Amino acid sequence: MVNVPDSRAPFSAAPLRGKHTWTMSPVSRSVLLAGASILIAFVAWQFLSTVLFNPFLIPPPLEVFRTAIPMVASGEILADVSISMVRVLVGFVTGSLAGIIIGVLLGRIRLLHDVLDPIIELLRYLSPTAMIPIAVIWFGIGELSKYFLIFWGTFFIVLINTTAGVWRAPIARQRAAECLGANRFQIFMLIVVPSSVPYIVTGMRVAMASSFMSIIPAEILAADSGIGYLLQKSSMLLQTNRIFVALLTICVLGFIVDRIFRIFVDKVLARYMSFVSQT
Amino acid sequence: MLRVTDVCKVFESARGTYFALDGVSLTIRDGEFVCLLGPSGCGKSTLLNILAGFESVSGGTATFNNTAITRADRERVMLFQDAGSALLPWLSTEENVRFGLRVRKVPKVDWPATIDKYLRMVSLDSHRAKFPAELSGGMRQRLQIARALAVEPKVLLMDEPFAALDALTRRHMHTVLLDIWRRTGKTIVFVTHDIAEAISLADRIAVMSTGPRSTITRLIDIGLQRPRDMTNPKVAQLFNEIESLLTPDVLRSSERLEVH
Repeated sequence: MVNVPDSRAPFSAAPLRGKHTWTMSPVSRSVLLAGASILIAFVAWQFLSTVLFNPFLIPPPLEVFRTAIPMVASGEILADVSISMVRVLVGFVTGSLAGIIIGVLLGRIRLLHDVLDPIIELLRYLSPTAMIPIAVIWFGIGELSKYFLIFWGTFFIVLINTTAGVWRAPIARQRAAECLGANRFQIFMLIVVPSSVPYIVTGMRVAMASSFMSIIPAEILAADSGIGYLLQKSSMLLQTNRIFVALLTICVLGFIVDRIFRIFVDKVLARYMSFVSQT
Repeated sequence: MLRVTDVCKVFESARGTYFALDGVSLTIRDGEFVCLLGPSGCGKSTLLNILAGFESVSGGTATFNNTAITRADRERVMLFQDAGSALLPWLSTEENVRFGLRVRKVPKVDWPATIDKYLRMVSLDSHRAKFPAELSGGMRQRLQIARALAVEPKVLLMDEPFAALDALTRRHMHTVLLDIWRRTGKTIVFVTHDIAEAISLADRIAVMSTGPRSTITRLIDIGLQRPRDMTNPKVAQLFNEIESLLTPDVLRSSERLEVH
Protein backbone atom coordinates (compact mmCIF):
# COMPACT_ATOMS: atom_id res chain seq x y z
CA MET A 1 0.00 0.00 0.00
CA VAL A 2 3.03 2.23 -0.30
CA ASN A 3 2.01 3.70 -3.64
CA VAL A 4 -1.45 4.85 -2.65
CA PRO A 5 -1.23 8.64 -2.51
CA ASP A 6 -2.19 10.27 0.74
CA SER A 7 -5.34 12.26 0.19
CA ARG A 8 -4.09 14.93 2.58
CA ALA A 9 -0.77 15.20 0.79
CA PRO A 10 -1.53 18.34 -1.30
CA PHE A 11 -2.61 20.21 1.80
CA SER A 12 0.40 19.22 3.82
CA ALA A 13 2.76 19.83 0.90
CA ALA A 14 1.62 23.35 0.09
CA PRO A 15 0.62 25.73 2.85
CA LEU A 16 -2.66 27.20 1.66
CA ARG A 17 -3.35 29.55 4.56
CA GLY A 18 -6.97 28.52 4.68
CA LYS A 19 -7.59 29.29 1.00
CA HIS A 20 -9.06 26.46 -0.98
CA THR A 21 -7.77 26.42 -4.56
CA TRP A 22 -10.51 25.46 -6.93
CA THR A 23 -9.23 22.83 -9.33
CA MET A 24 -11.21 21.12 -12.06
CA SER A 25 -10.59 19.00 -15.07
CA PRO A 26 -10.61 21.02 -18.33
CA VAL A 27 -13.58 18.98 -19.60
CA SER A 28 -15.91 19.65 -16.69
CA ARG A 29 -14.78 23.26 -16.76
CA SER A 30 -15.83 23.68 -20.39
CA VAL A 31 -19.13 21.87 -19.76
CA LEU A 32 -19.80 24.21 -16.87
CA LEU A 33 -18.97 27.28 -18.93
CA ALA A 34 -21.19 26.09 -21.79
CA GLY A 35 -24.03 25.57 -19.31
CA ALA A 36 -23.46 29.05 -17.88
CA SER A 37 -23.49 30.53 -21.38
CA ILE A 38 -26.86 28.95 -22.19
CA LEU A 39 -28.27 30.02 -18.83
CA ILE A 40 -27.19 33.63 -19.47
CA ALA A 41 -28.85 33.46 -22.88
CA PHE A 42 -32.14 32.35 -21.33
CA VAL A 43 -32.01 35.07 -18.68
CA ALA A 44 -31.31 37.69 -21.35
CA TRP A 45 -34.12 36.27 -23.47
CA GLN A 46 -36.55 36.51 -20.55
CA PHE A 47 -35.40 40.07 -19.87
CA LEU A 48 -35.81 41.20 -23.50
CA SER A 49 -39.19 39.51 -23.69
CA THR A 50 -40.82 40.85 -20.52
CA VAL A 51 -38.97 44.09 -19.70
CA LEU A 52 -37.54 45.62 -22.86
CA PHE A 53 -40.02 44.54 -25.54
CA ASN A 54 -43.29 42.71 -25.12
CA PRO A 55 -44.15 39.02 -24.88
CA PHE A 56 -45.95 39.03 -28.19
CA LEU A 57 -42.92 40.16 -30.21
CA ILE A 58 -40.52 38.00 -28.20
CA PRO A 59 -42.35 35.17 -26.45
CA PRO A 60 -40.59 34.29 -23.18
CA PRO A 61 -38.69 30.99 -22.90
CA LEU A 62 -41.30 29.20 -20.82
CA GLU A 63 -44.07 30.17 -23.23
CA VAL A 64 -42.00 28.81 -26.14
CA PHE A 65 -41.44 25.52 -24.32
CA ARG A 66 -45.13 25.31 -23.50
CA THR A 67 -45.87 25.72 -27.24
CA ALA A 68 -43.17 23.22 -28.17
CA ILE A 69 -44.40 20.34 -26.01
CA PRO A 70 -47.63 19.57 -27.93
CA MET A 71 -45.83 20.17 -31.25
CA VAL A 72 -43.24 17.59 -30.29
CA ALA A 73 -45.79 15.21 -28.72
CA SER A 74 -48.09 15.23 -31.76
CA GLY A 75 -45.12 14.54 -34.03
CA GLU A 76 -45.82 17.71 -35.99
CA ILE A 77 -42.38 19.18 -35.52
CA LEU A 78 -40.69 15.85 -36.06
CA ALA A 79 -42.42 15.49 -39.43
CA ASP A 80 -41.24 18.93 -40.52
CA VAL A 81 -37.74 18.28 -39.21
CA SER A 82 -37.41 14.98 -40.99
CA ILE A 83 -38.70 16.41 -44.27
CA SER A 84 -36.20 19.27 -44.12
CA MET A 85 -33.38 16.96 -43.04
CA VAL A 86 -33.97 14.53 -45.89
CA ARG A 87 -33.85 17.45 -48.32
CA VAL A 88 -30.60 18.69 -46.82
CA LEU A 89 -29.14 15.18 -46.76
CA VAL A 90 -29.97 14.35 -50.38
CA GLY A 91 -28.74 17.70 -51.68
CA PHE A 92 -25.66 17.69 -49.47
CA VAL A 93 -24.56 14.14 -50.28
CA THR A 94 -25.07 14.47 -54.04
CA GLY A 95 -23.55 17.96 -54.06
CA SER A 96 -20.52 16.79 -52.06
CA LEU A 97 -19.98 13.74 -54.27
CA ALA A 98 -20.20 15.78 -57.45
CA GLY A 99 -17.99 18.49 -55.92
CA ILE A 100 -15.33 15.97 -54.86
CA ILE A 101 -15.27 14.10 -58.17
CA ILE A 102 -15.17 17.18 -60.37
CA GLY A 103 -12.88 19.03 -57.93
CA VAL A 104 -10.36 16.18 -58.03
CA LEU A 105 -10.45 16.12 -61.84
CA LEU A 106 -10.00 19.89 -62.06
CA GLY A 107 -7.08 19.69 -59.64
CA ARG A 108 -5.43 16.99 -61.71
CA ILE A 109 -6.20 17.92 -65.32
CA ARG A 110 -4.85 21.35 -66.09
CA LEU A 111 -6.73 21.77 -69.38
CA LEU A 112 -10.07 20.89 -67.81
CA HIS A 113 -9.41 23.40 -65.04
CA ASP A 114 -8.45 26.19 -67.44
CA VAL A 115 -11.61 25.60 -69.49
CA LEU A 116 -14.09 25.24 -66.62
CA ASP A 117 -12.67 27.57 -63.98
CA PRO A 118 -14.03 30.84 -65.46
CA ILE A 119 -17.53 29.34 -65.60
CA ILE A 120 -17.29 28.12 -62.00
CA GLU A 121 -15.91 31.44 -60.83
CA LEU A 122 -18.97 33.19 -62.27
CA LEU A 123 -21.64 30.68 -61.27
CA ARG A 124 -20.54 30.33 -57.66
CA TYR A 125 -21.78 33.84 -56.90
CA LEU A 126 -25.33 32.70 -57.54
CA SER A 127 -26.44 31.76 -54.06
CA PRO A 128 -29.07 29.02 -53.64
CA THR A 129 -31.55 31.73 -52.64
CA ALA A 130 -30.97 33.52 -55.94
CA MET A 131 -31.72 30.25 -57.72
CA ILE A 132 -35.07 29.65 -55.99
CA PRO A 133 -37.29 31.39 -58.58
CA ILE A 134 -35.81 29.53 -61.52
CA ALA A 135 -35.63 26.24 -59.57
CA VAL A 136 -39.37 26.43 -58.95
CA ILE A 137 -40.02 26.88 -62.66
CA TRP A 138 -37.64 24.08 -63.60
CA PHE A 139 -38.52 21.55 -60.91
CA GLY A 140 -41.81 22.70 -59.35
CA ILE A 141 -42.36 23.12 -55.61
CA GLY A 142 -41.77 19.42 -54.90
CA GLU A 143 -38.71 17.72 -53.48
CA LEU A 144 -36.64 17.97 -56.63
CA SER A 145 -36.34 21.75 -56.46
CA LYS A 146 -35.11 21.53 -52.82
CA TYR A 147 -32.57 18.84 -53.71
CA PHE A 148 -31.38 21.04 -56.54
CA LEU A 149 -31.00 24.14 -54.37
CA ILE A 150 -29.05 22.34 -51.64
CA PHE A 151 -26.96 20.63 -54.31
CA TRP A 152 -26.25 24.03 -55.84
CA GLY A 153 -25.11 25.51 -52.54
CA THR A 154 -22.94 22.51 -51.65
CA PHE A 155 -21.35 21.74 -55.00
CA PHE A 156 -19.26 24.89 -55.52
CA ILE A 157 -17.95 25.07 -51.96
CA VAL A 158 -16.83 21.43 -51.94
CA LEU A 159 -15.45 21.70 -55.46
CA ILE A 160 -13.23 24.71 -54.78
CA ASN A 161 -11.88 23.23 -51.55
CA THR A 162 -11.22 19.86 -53.17
CA THR A 163 -9.29 21.42 -56.05
CA ALA A 164 -7.22 23.44 -53.58
CA GLY A 165 -6.48 20.26 -51.61
CA VAL A 166 -5.42 18.33 -54.70
CA TRP A 167 -3.03 21.11 -55.67
CA ARG A 168 -1.47 21.07 -52.24
CA ALA A 169 -0.69 17.35 -52.20
CA PRO A 170 3.08 17.52 -51.54
CA ILE A 171 5.22 16.95 -54.64
CA ALA A 172 7.76 15.09 -52.48
CA ARG A 173 5.07 12.61 -51.45
CA GLN A 174 4.02 11.99 -55.04
CA ARG A 175 7.59 11.62 -56.23
CA ALA A 176 8.51 9.34 -53.33
CA ALA A 177 5.60 7.06 -54.26
CA GLU A 178 6.60 7.23 -57.92
CA CYS A 179 10.10 5.95 -57.31
CA LEU A 180 8.84 3.27 -54.94
CA GLY A 181 7.00 1.92 -57.99
CA ALA A 182 3.52 3.47 -57.86
CA ASN A 183 1.87 4.05 -61.22
CA ARG A 184 -0.06 7.22 -62.09
CA PHE A 185 -3.38 5.80 -60.98
CA GLN A 186 -1.93 4.65 -57.65
CA ILE A 187 -0.31 8.03 -57.06
CA PHE A 188 -3.68 9.62 -57.71
CA MET A 189 -5.79 7.30 -55.56
CA LEU A 190 -3.32 6.46 -52.77
CA ILE A 191 -1.45 9.76 -52.45
CA VAL A 192 -3.22 12.74 -53.97
CA VAL A 193 -6.79 12.02 -52.87
CA PRO A 194 -5.91 11.08 -49.26
CA SER A 195 -3.61 14.12 -49.02
CA SER A 196 -6.53 16.39 -49.91
CA VAL A 197 -8.95 14.93 -47.33
CA PRO A 198 -8.45 17.76 -44.78
CA TYR A 199 -9.42 20.31 -47.44
CA ILE A 200 -12.41 18.26 -48.60
CA VAL A 201 -13.67 17.90 -45.02
CA THR A 202 -13.33 21.64 -44.42
CA GLY A 203 -15.29 22.31 -47.60
CA MET A 204 -18.00 19.87 -46.53
CA ARG A 205 -18.37 21.47 -43.11
CA VAL A 206 -18.75 24.92 -44.62
CA ALA A 207 -21.21 23.49 -47.17
CA MET A 208 -23.20 21.82 -44.39
CA ALA A 209 -23.73 25.19 -42.72
CA SER A 210 -24.67 26.70 -46.07
CA SER A 211 -27.19 23.88 -46.68
CA PHE A 212 -28.88 24.73 -43.41
CA MET A 213 -29.05 28.36 -44.40
CA SER A 214 -30.44 27.71 -47.85
CA ILE A 215 -33.10 25.09 -47.02
CA ILE A 216 -35.10 27.62 -44.97
CA PRO A 217 -35.61 30.30 -47.66
CA ALA A 218 -36.31 27.55 -50.17
CA GLU A 219 -39.08 26.18 -47.95
CA ILE A 220 -40.39 29.63 -47.08
CA LEU A 221 -40.76 30.62 -50.70
CA ALA A 222 -41.75 27.38 -52.33
CA ALA A 223 -42.90 24.47 -50.20
CA ASP A 224 -45.83 22.99 -48.38
CA SER A 225 -43.81 21.19 -45.73
CA GLY A 226 -40.60 21.45 -43.73
CA ILE A 227 -39.24 23.80 -41.06
CA GLY A 228 -39.18 26.77 -43.43
CA TYR A 229 -42.83 26.19 -44.28
CA LEU A 230 -43.63 26.03 -40.54
CA LEU A 231 -41.94 29.44 -40.14
CA GLN A 232 -43.84 30.92 -43.04
CA LYS A 233 -47.22 29.53 -41.94
CA SER A 234 -46.73 30.71 -38.33
CA SER A 235 -45.73 34.16 -39.56
CA MET A 236 -48.92 34.49 -41.60
CA LEU A 237 -50.93 33.59 -38.49
CA LEU A 238 -48.84 35.92 -36.28
CA GLN A 239 -47.93 32.94 -34.05
CA THR A 240 -44.61 34.27 -32.74
CA ASN A 241 -44.36 31.49 -30.20
CA ARG A 242 -44.47 28.87 -32.97
CA ILE A 243 -41.91 30.85 -34.97
CA PHE A 244 -39.60 30.72 -31.97
CA VAL A 245 -40.07 26.97 -31.67
CA ALA A 246 -39.03 26.61 -35.31
CA LEU A 247 -36.02 28.91 -34.91
CA LEU A 248 -34.87 27.05 -31.81
CA THR A 249 -35.25 23.76 -33.67
CA ILE A 250 -32.96 25.01 -36.45
CA CYS A 251 -30.30 26.03 -33.91
CA VAL A 252 -30.38 22.66 -32.17
CA LEU A 253 -30.45 20.69 -35.43
CA GLY A 254 -27.47 22.52 -36.91
CA PHE A 255 -25.50 21.95 -33.73
CA ILE A 256 -26.37 18.24 -33.61
CA VAL A 257 -25.59 17.66 -37.28
CA ASP A 258 -22.22 19.38 -37.01
CA ARG A 259 -21.39 17.26 -33.95
CA ILE A 260 -22.34 14.08 -35.80
CA PHE A 261 -20.21 15.17 -38.74
CA ARG A 262 -17.27 15.83 -36.44
CA ILE A 263 -17.64 12.48 -34.71
CA PHE A 264 -17.71 10.80 -38.11
CA VAL A 265 -14.56 12.65 -39.15
CA ASP A 266 -12.84 11.75 -35.86
CA LYS A 267 -13.77 8.08 -36.09
CA VAL A 268 -13.38 7.40 -39.79
CA LEU A 269 -11.07 10.04 -41.21
CA ALA A 270 -8.88 10.92 -38.22
CA ARG A 271 -5.71 9.47 -39.70
CA TYR A 272 -6.10 11.55 -42.84
CA MET A 273 -6.57 14.77 -40.90
CA SER A 274 -3.10 15.05 -39.38
CA PHE A 275 -0.42 17.19 -40.91
CA VAL A 276 3.22 16.52 -40.22
CA SER A 277 5.10 19.74 -39.78
CA GLN A 278 8.50 20.20 -41.37
CA THR A 279 11.61 18.68 -39.78
CA MET B 1 26.61 2.46 -62.96
CA LEU B 2 25.16 5.96 -63.09
CA ARG B 3 26.58 8.22 -65.74
CA VAL B 4 25.84 11.76 -66.86
CA THR B 5 27.67 13.09 -69.90
CA ASP B 6 27.71 16.75 -70.86
CA VAL B 7 24.33 17.33 -69.26
CA CYS B 8 22.59 20.68 -69.71
CA LYS B 9 19.35 21.71 -68.08
CA VAL B 10 17.31 24.71 -69.10
CA PHE B 11 14.17 25.85 -67.32
CA GLU B 12 11.70 27.84 -69.38
CA SER B 13 9.27 30.03 -67.52
CA ALA B 14 7.20 33.13 -68.08
CA ARG B 15 10.05 35.17 -66.59
CA GLY B 16 12.52 33.84 -69.13
CA THR B 17 15.02 31.09 -69.65
CA TYR B 18 17.24 29.83 -66.85
CA PHE B 19 20.35 27.84 -67.66
CA ALA B 20 20.65 25.65 -64.56
CA LEU B 21 23.27 23.07 -65.57
CA ASP B 22 25.85 23.31 -68.28
CA GLY B 23 28.19 20.52 -69.30
CA VAL B 24 27.96 18.28 -66.24
CA SER B 25 29.75 14.94 -66.56
CA LEU B 26 30.08 12.38 -63.80
CA THR B 27 30.35 8.62 -63.55
CA ILE B 28 29.29 6.90 -60.34
CA ARG B 29 30.35 3.29 -59.84
CA ASP B 30 28.13 0.64 -58.30
CA GLY B 31 28.33 0.69 -54.52
CA GLU B 32 30.00 4.05 -54.45
CA PHE B 33 29.09 6.88 -52.04
CA VAL B 34 29.22 10.21 -53.85
CA CYS B 35 28.34 13.60 -52.43
CA LEU B 36 27.20 16.47 -54.64
CA LEU B 37 28.40 19.56 -52.78
CA GLY B 38 27.76 23.19 -53.58
CA PRO B 39 26.15 26.41 -52.45
CA SER B 40 22.38 26.72 -52.62
CA GLY B 41 21.11 27.32 -56.12
CA CYS B 42 23.97 25.43 -57.75
CA GLY B 43 21.71 22.89 -59.39
CA LYS B 44 22.72 19.88 -57.28
CA SER B 45 19.11 18.98 -56.59
CA THR B 46 18.35 19.40 -60.29
CA LEU B 47 21.12 16.95 -61.09
CA LEU B 48 19.70 14.53 -58.51
CA ASN B 49 16.22 14.90 -60.04
CA ILE B 50 17.71 14.06 -63.42
CA LEU B 51 19.34 10.93 -61.97
CA ALA B 52 16.01 9.96 -60.43
CA GLY B 53 14.15 10.52 -63.68
CA PHE B 54 11.91 13.29 -62.34
CA GLU B 55 13.44 15.81 -64.75
CA SER B 56 14.66 15.29 -68.29
CA VAL B 57 17.94 16.58 -69.63
CA SER B 58 17.93 19.51 -72.08
CA GLY B 59 21.21 18.33 -73.57
CA GLY B 60 23.68 15.51 -73.06
CA THR B 61 22.80 12.09 -71.69
CA ALA B 62 21.96 10.52 -68.35
CA THR B 63 22.20 6.74 -68.15
CA PHE B 64 21.82 4.01 -65.56
CA ASN B 65 23.60 0.78 -66.47
CA ASN B 66 23.94 2.13 -70.02
CA THR B 67 20.19 2.69 -70.41
CA ALA B 68 18.93 6.24 -70.81
CA ILE B 69 17.06 7.53 -67.75
CA THR B 70 13.67 8.68 -68.98
CA ARG B 71 11.44 8.21 -65.96
CA ALA B 72 11.46 7.40 -62.26
CA ASP B 73 12.31 3.80 -61.58
CA ARG B 74 12.24 1.64 -58.48
CA GLU B 75 15.96 0.90 -59.02
CA ARG B 76 16.69 4.47 -57.91
CA VAL B 77 14.78 5.65 -54.89
CA MET B 78 14.86 9.28 -53.79
CA LEU B 79 14.89 10.37 -50.14
CA PHE B 80 13.71 13.87 -49.41
CA GLN B 81 14.79 16.47 -46.88
CA ASP B 82 11.23 16.96 -45.66
CA ALA B 83 10.34 13.46 -44.49
CA GLY B 84 7.04 14.78 -43.15
CA SER B 85 5.95 15.48 -46.71
CA ALA B 86 7.53 12.39 -48.25
CA LEU B 87 5.98 9.91 -45.80
CA LEU B 88 2.27 9.15 -45.74
CA PRO B 89 1.02 10.76 -42.51
CA TRP B 90 -2.14 8.63 -42.46
CA LEU B 91 -0.15 5.38 -42.32
CA SER B 92 1.81 4.03 -39.36
CA THR B 93 5.53 3.34 -39.49
CA GLU B 94 4.92 -0.26 -40.49
CA GLU B 95 2.24 0.66 -43.04
CA ASN B 96 4.53 3.22 -44.65
CA VAL B 97 7.06 0.47 -45.37
CA ARG B 98 4.25 -1.83 -46.50
CA PHE B 99 3.06 0.83 -48.96
CA GLY B 100 6.26 0.44 -50.98
CA LEU B 101 5.96 -3.35 -51.00
CA ARG B 102 2.34 -3.06 -52.09
CA VAL B 103 2.92 -0.74 -55.05
CA ARG B 104 6.01 -2.72 -55.98
CA LYS B 105 3.84 -5.88 -56.05
CA VAL B 106 6.06 -7.88 -53.71
CA PRO B 107 4.22 -11.14 -52.86
CA LYS B 108 2.20 -10.72 -49.66
CA VAL B 109 3.86 -13.65 -47.92
CA ASP B 110 7.16 -11.77 -47.96
CA TRP B 111 5.80 -8.59 -46.42
CA PRO B 112 6.18 -9.33 -42.68
CA ALA B 113 9.76 -10.57 -42.97
CA THR B 114 10.81 -7.67 -45.19
CA ILE B 115 9.16 -5.08 -42.95
CA ASP B 116 10.81 -6.62 -39.87
CA LYS B 117 14.21 -6.73 -41.50
CA TYR B 118 14.33 -3.10 -42.56
CA LEU B 119 12.60 -1.61 -39.53
CA ARG B 120 15.16 -3.44 -37.41
CA MET B 121 17.96 -2.15 -39.62
CA VAL B 122 16.99 1.44 -38.78
CA SER B 123 16.03 0.56 -35.17
CA LEU B 124 12.36 1.45 -35.61
CA ASP B 125 10.93 -2.03 -34.96
CA SER B 126 9.71 -0.95 -31.53
CA HIS B 127 7.89 2.05 -33.04
CA ARG B 128 6.04 0.25 -35.79
CA ALA B 129 2.54 1.32 -34.71
CA LYS B 130 3.40 5.01 -34.40
CA PHE B 131 2.39 7.56 -36.99
CA PRO B 132 4.93 9.90 -38.63
CA ALA B 133 3.59 12.82 -36.57
CA GLU B 134 4.59 10.90 -33.43
CA LEU B 135 8.17 10.35 -34.59
CA SER B 136 11.11 12.70 -34.16
CA GLY B 137 12.83 14.23 -37.19
CA GLY B 138 15.64 11.68 -37.10
CA MET B 139 13.21 8.78 -36.75
CA ARG B 140 11.23 10.03 -39.75
CA GLN B 141 14.39 10.06 -41.84
CA ARG B 142 15.19 6.53 -40.65
CA LEU B 143 11.68 5.48 -41.66
CA GLN B 144 12.21 7.03 -45.07
CA ILE B 145 15.42 5.01 -45.40
CA ALA B 146 13.69 1.79 -44.32
CA ARG B 147 10.84 2.37 -46.76
CA ALA B 148 13.32 2.94 -49.58
CA LEU B 149 15.46 -0.09 -48.73
CA ALA B 150 12.42 -2.36 -48.51
CA VAL B 151 11.76 -2.07 -52.26
CA GLU B 152 15.38 -3.16 -52.76
CA PRO B 153 16.68 -0.46 -55.06
CA LYS B 154 20.23 -0.33 -56.40
CA VAL B 155 20.67 3.39 -55.80
CA LEU B 156 19.65 5.75 -53.00
CA LEU B 157 19.37 9.38 -54.09
CA MET B 158 19.39 11.58 -51.01
CA ASP B 159 18.44 15.26 -51.25
CA GLU B 160 19.88 17.00 -48.17
CA PRO B 161 18.16 14.41 -45.99
CA PHE B 162 19.72 15.53 -42.72
CA ALA B 163 19.84 19.29 -43.29
CA ALA B 164 16.87 19.99 -41.04
CA LEU B 165 18.11 17.86 -38.13
CA ASP B 166 19.98 19.12 -35.09
CA ALA B 167 23.76 18.60 -35.07
CA LEU B 168 23.75 15.64 -32.67
CA THR B 169 20.99 13.78 -34.51
CA ARG B 170 22.74 14.50 -37.81
CA ARG B 171 25.98 12.93 -36.58
CA HIS B 172 24.03 9.91 -35.38
CA MET B 173 22.31 9.64 -38.77
CA HIS B 174 25.72 9.67 -40.47
CA THR B 175 26.74 6.62 -38.44
CA VAL B 176 23.43 4.89 -39.20
CA LEU B 177 23.67 5.64 -42.92
CA LEU B 178 27.30 4.52 -43.26
CA ASP B 179 26.47 1.32 -41.40
CA ILE B 180 23.53 0.62 -43.72
CA TRP B 181 25.63 1.47 -46.77
CA ARG B 182 28.32 -1.00 -45.66
CA ARG B 183 25.78 -3.74 -44.99
CA THR B 184 23.70 -3.32 -48.14
CA GLY B 185 26.27 -2.16 -50.69
CA LYS B 186 23.90 0.37 -52.25
CA THR B 187 25.12 3.15 -54.48
CA ILE B 188 24.43 6.45 -52.72
CA VAL B 189 24.28 9.89 -54.28
CA PHE B 190 24.00 12.43 -51.48
CA VAL B 191 23.30 16.11 -51.99
CA THR B 192 24.54 18.50 -49.33
CA HIS B 193 25.86 22.02 -48.80
CA ASP B 194 27.70 20.99 -45.64
CA ILE B 195 31.41 20.45 -46.29
CA ALA B 196 31.99 18.49 -43.06
CA GLU B 197 29.06 16.22 -43.84
CA ALA B 198 30.40 15.49 -47.31
CA ILE B 199 33.89 14.74 -45.96
CA SER B 200 32.65 12.41 -43.25
CA LEU B 201 30.41 10.42 -45.61
CA ALA B 202 31.64 10.29 -49.18
CA ASP B 203 34.06 8.22 -51.22
CA ARG B 204 34.17 11.08 -53.67
CA ILE B 205 32.89 14.64 -53.56
CA ALA B 206 31.70 16.42 -56.69
CA VAL B 207 32.04 20.14 -55.98
CA MET B 208 29.61 22.22 -58.01
CA SER B 209 29.73 25.89 -58.93
CA THR B 210 26.92 28.40 -58.40
CA GLY B 211 24.36 28.77 -61.12
CA PRO B 212 23.48 29.86 -63.67
CA ARG B 213 25.34 27.43 -65.90
CA SER B 214 26.70 25.51 -62.95
CA THR B 215 28.92 22.54 -63.46
CA ILE B 216 31.20 20.20 -61.51
CA THR B 217 34.35 22.18 -60.84
CA ARG B 218 36.31 19.52 -58.98
CA LEU B 219 36.03 15.82 -58.20
CA ILE B 220 37.73 14.97 -54.95
CA ASP B 221 38.67 11.43 -54.01
CA ILE B 222 38.79 11.39 -50.23
CA GLY B 223 40.61 8.12 -49.73
CA LEU B 224 40.56 8.16 -45.92
CA GLN B 225 39.53 5.32 -43.64
CA ARG B 226 36.08 5.45 -42.04
CA PRO B 227 35.06 6.39 -39.43
CA ARG B 228 36.76 9.62 -40.28
CA ASP B 229 38.49 11.56 -37.58
CA MET B 230 37.48 15.16 -38.16
CA THR B 231 40.55 16.39 -36.29
CA ASN B 232 42.87 14.64 -38.75
CA PRO B 233 45.08 17.28 -40.46
CA LYS B 234 44.25 15.77 -43.84
CA VAL B 235 40.58 16.38 -43.17
CA ALA B 236 41.30 19.98 -42.20
CA GLN B 237 43.31 20.41 -45.38
CA LEU B 238 40.45 18.98 -47.47
CA PHE B 239 37.97 21.21 -45.69
CA ASN B 240 40.00 24.33 -46.45
CA GLU B 241 40.56 23.28 -50.03
CA ILE B 242 36.83 22.79 -50.64
CA GLU B 243 35.94 25.97 -48.79
CA SER B 244 38.30 27.99 -50.96
CA LEU B 245 36.69 26.39 -54.02
CA LEU B 246 33.24 27.44 -52.83
CA THR B 247 34.01 30.88 -51.38
CA PRO B 248 34.12 32.90 -54.62
CA ASP B 249 30.86 31.20 -55.59
CA VAL B 250 29.19 32.06 -52.31
CA LEU B 251 30.27 35.69 -52.69
CA ARG B 252 29.04 35.71 -56.25
CA SER B 253 25.69 34.21 -55.30
CA SER B 254 25.15 36.74 -52.51
CA GLU B 255 26.03 39.59 -54.86
CA ARG B 256 23.55 38.21 -57.29
CA LEU B 257 20.89 38.33 -54.62
CA GLU B 258 21.71 41.93 -53.77
CA VAL B 259 21.57 43.05 -57.41
CA HIS B 260 18.11 41.59 -57.95
